[in-house]
Amino acid sequence: MTPNGAVPFSTATIRRRLALTWIGIAGSVGVLFVAALSTRSPLDDRDPAQQRPGFLDAVGHASSAPRIAPDLPRNGRKVVVFFVRPGVAGWLCSSLSTDQPLRRRADVAVVGPAATSSCTGVATVTDPAGSLARAFGMRRPRDGGPPVGYAVVDSHGLIRYRTLDPRVASALDEVETMVRATP
Amino acid sequence: MAVAVELLLYRSYKGHDARFHWFTHFFVGAAVALLAMAVVAWRTRHPVALPMLWPLLGHLVAMAPDILFNFGMAHRRWMDVFLAHVSSHYVPGRNVTWFGVFLASLAVYLVVLDRRVSPAPVWAGK
Repeated sequence: MTPNGAVPFSTATIRRRLALTWIGIAGSVGVLFVAALSTRSPLDDRDPAQQRPGFLDAVGHASSAPRIAPDLPRNGRKVVVFFVRPGVAGWLCSSLSTDQPLRRRADVAVVGPAATSSCTGVATVTDPAGSLARAFGMRRPRDGGPPVGYAVVDSHGLIRYRTLDPRVASALDEVETMVRATP
Repeated sequence: MAVAVELLLYRSYKGHDARFHWFTHFFVGAAVALLAMAVVAWRTRHPVALPMLWPLLGHLVAMAPDILFNFGMAHRRWMDVFLAHVSSHYVPGRNVTWFGVFLASLAVYLVVLDRRVSPAPVWAGK
């Protein structure tokens, strides 16, 4: 005890406070972490590390792109291939219709399990069996259905980027970033 | 202040799936900062000044390529210089592993405070 009556914290008290600090931080960050995990979409990738990695050739070496349409891919021209479901197709086509920079930089194709009629100025491909998605190596979403996302083919016809992205229609600036990075 | 900045950074990651990336870089950056804090505290025998600022700075370094991405620069492998920004996503166990590393680093810092740092002139009151 000091002359004015104050009592210093004991070692045990300090140790208990440090332990409580650790428990408090671990608990609060842990709750946030679990909450973030629980809000994942059924259209997200099972492995979040594979979704929107943001760099080319994230999954091994580049491979040749299959033919998407009679004139795609064209030599010397990049291609962005969007994979959609019926609920996303209209939203994406509406976004694409106002995004001229992306269409100037690359040819654009929209592939879906059902016919997409609302897309103007881009190639639309109906692929009910999902064979194109498989040929592009698109990953399956958590719900096991067809993928929603996109792939980028470089000007030599090689697939350089592929990702699931359920919100792709509202993130065309990100697609454009990846197209710019693609040779 | 540091917590408010972290909340802003969290909001800056577009889309629910992007939170995975926020957590990765937070855990990695904060863990590195906590280990640096432990080393400094061990050597000086004093707690570091502004202890909340260090993890925030670590996080900012780890997520720097994401800031560049928002300005239109895609990631490159060399961006691993920013606390393994690219490859940190691919460790086995993903973010659960990094959460464990973060908690272990926090424990290391607190143990250093307990074992090595001179008792601070803190009083329990009258």
